[in-house]
Amino acid sequence: MHWRSVITCAAVLLAAGCGRSGMGAGGTEKAAAASVPGGSPEIRLIADVPRGEWRMPAGDPAGLRYSTLDTINTSNVANLHVVTTFSTGVPHGHEGQPLVFDNTMYVVTPFPNNLIAVDLTKTGGAVKWIYEPHPDPRSVGIACCDVVNRGATFADGKIIYNLLDAHTVAVDARTGQEVWRTTVGNINLGETMTGAPLAIGDKVIVGNSGAELGVRGYVAALDVKTGRELWRAFNTGPDADVKIGPRFHPFYEKDRGQDLGTASWRGEQWKLGGSTVWGWLSYDPETNLFFYGTGNPGVWNPDLRPGDNKWSCAIIARDADSGEARWAFQATAHDAWDYDEIMENILVDMPFAGRPRKLLIHPGRTGFVYVMDRESGELLSAETYEPVNWASRYDLKTGTPFENADKRTHFGTVTEGICPSSTGAKDVTPSAFSPRTGLLYIPAHNTCMNYEGIEANYIAGTPYLGADVKMFPGPGGYQGELVAWDVARAQKVWGAKEPVLPVYSGVLATGGDLVFYGTMDGWFKALDARTGAELWKFHTASGIVGNPITYLGPDGKQYLAIYSGIGGWMGAVAFPELSADDPYAALGVVGAMKDIKKYTAPGSTVYVFGF
Amino acid sequence: MSSGSEHLRLSRAVCSLIAGGCFAVSACGAIGQDQPAVSAVAALETSTVQTPVGPVPGPAQPAPEPHNPYRGRRGAMAEGREMFVRFNCSGCHGGRAGGGMGPSLRDVDWIYGRTDLQVFSSIAEGRAHGMPAWGARLTEDQVWKLVTYVESLRTPEEPDAP
Repeated sequence: MHWRSVITCAAVLLAAGCGRSGMGAGGTEKAAAASVPGGSPEIRLIADVPRGEWRMPAGDPAGLRYSTLDTINTSNVANLHVVTTFSTGVPHGHEGQPLVFDNTMYVVTPFPNNLIAVDLTKTGGAVKWIYEPHPDPRSVGIACCDVVNRGATFADGKIIYNLLDAHTVAVDARTGQEVWRTTVGNINLGETMTGAPLAIGDKVIVGNSGAELGVRGYVAALDVKTGRELWRAFNTGPDADVKIGPRFHPFYEKDRGQDLGTASWRGEQWKLGGSTVWGWLSYDPETNLFFYGTGNPGVWNPDLRPGDNKWSCAIIARDADSGEARWAFQATAHDAWDYDEIMENILVDMPFAGRPRKLLIHPGRTGFVYVMDRESGELLSAETYEPVNWASRYDLKTGTPFENADKRTHFGTVTEGICPSSTGAKDVTPSAFSPRTGLLYIPAHNTCMNYEGIEANYIAGTPYLGADVKMFPGPGGYQGELVAWDVARAQKVWGAKEPVLPVYSGVLATGGDLVFYGTMDGWFKALDARTGAELWKFHTASGIVGNPITYLGPDGKQYLAIYSGIGGWMGAVAFPELSADDPYAALGVVGAMKDIKKYTAPGSTVYVFGF
Repeated sequence: MSSGSEHLRLSRAVCSLIAGGCFAVSACGAIGQDQPAVSAVAALETSTVQTPVGPVPGPAQPAPEPHNPYRGRRGAMAEGREMFVRFNCSGCHGGRAGGGMGPSLRDVDWIYGRTDLQVFSSIAEGRAHGMPAWGARLTEDQVWKLVTYVESLRTPEEPDAP
């Protein structure tokens, strides 16, 4: 049955033309390949993975961050060396990743969000053009977690990305001319945009940031040709706003009911309800659904917002044409810890617990790896990948966690030693999945915290928190780990530990059986994807918080690219303007990161590696 | 303490230094027929711009500005700390002002100047990268107490120290 649907799907994609993401990657494939060379025969891909280009944030719409390229592999990666470096000119957190296609590399910088097009046919990072959008500098002061940008997507001849001041821009990929610029959010309400869009057919899906300022979260669809907003689906509020209708079928009782996006809040708190969308979007072309997770509920202090606070900290499936919600799963109701669930949702078909399933794999901020059936929204498994004590496990029948009441936070109380911290067992930096090994490679943290609920006053455009938080490394003598997680068996198989700093970069898995990631003290590393052995590393000029990509150069050879530029929520402690003697600063991360200035300073370099 | 605007003007010595040179528009002769009626008073004496952040041009620096009337007063430090939390300053500048969305106020680097009046102005006027203009919402008294808290950081008197 699977193969028939693949052929049907391929025919549909061919008929639909080459506009769809997933088409044309590498230039030679015409149909979505259901597998990769050497892939496990039981694992089936739902969209083509990169075979030489990188056209969207995760490389493919299903979010695997896997490339089939294998000329750089376990036998020769020790010979990898720097081929080119160039500066973006902005010494702030370089989250996100470049795009590469048509022998051009496209880099979006942190604020001011310039777009740099680099000619890969020339040596030395030759710039073709730079597009400078000049976003409003007032947005800098309302970005919670450094002025990062998580990248662009390519669609309909345009490079499309979000600006910090809550606009979306589309730039002609050949000429660097702005084609459209759409106002999406309002910075006077504390809204910013830091996430990467996802193009789906004739639409671009974008989301907003700002849950720390009581912003109300949403996803919106813009017309890829004109930028005109087609629809907006909020994540709090009445069903009509949330686009919940007759086709909405949450799997669990706890997520069913009318207007839960208001009813699960007191009064009108849902209008300040957070639940923003600043992380990753993924898409299933076979069902035309897209998936994303929502951020924390507005106001950190839970006692100030009684109720389940839907639809914060939830994974939501929506129809890509209309935005209608199809199912939702709230991972933590009435969040008390800032456990945003905006992490990646990796879509792959493979056996789980003995039978073939259509999976959605989501390594959560909470410390649990959530494995779900993406058709029904059923939670198949939730197991921990780092030390966790806010809950012991999930009841898969009800989809609810067994919480540890001692680790709930409250107004006027200091709750001590909560694991993981608000930054989570991982934050937004994305994992990778290899269809060859069946392993999920998770950039993980081991950080815990003390959390006191304090007063909070809503003043539009300022933080709406009510929490005094101090973080510190968790137990075991390490604070970072690259975890290899066996998806089918729901367990960790190995981990590469970092003693002092969390692993706060994205991950790339390749057909050469390599896993690439970066460390906050600047090492770019290659591990054996099966054993975890460290096969190669190189020390870049600044800490790495971006996501590696790989591609074929004009010479037909394989290259890797990674940003080197510390920053982001935890990395910003490396900046001179943050003081290490206030452990409560930067929403508590200084406590965990107080030594980072010894390990790295700000940077702004794009590195390309090859042979 | 008096809250008259005299506190916010430059001393006489500075005014004459500026006005005596060719700085005032009208003193430099006609620029054009449509020249608007611009005041000959030094710009820093007008109501729109009152606090020098950069150095005053000329060899002599101005006499000391008005100081924080609450300087060193523990009660004001405590009130300032309470407001620092209540008005969400701690959300941007960090739980004990060590930085975050906004810069640390604990360290010795002052982007817009470290004198009492310069710190007052940064709070009251706001700044280009998103520091709100709190002077539109708070009284002068409240702002001076916030200044008092900020100036207590990293001293033995700092209330609620980390």
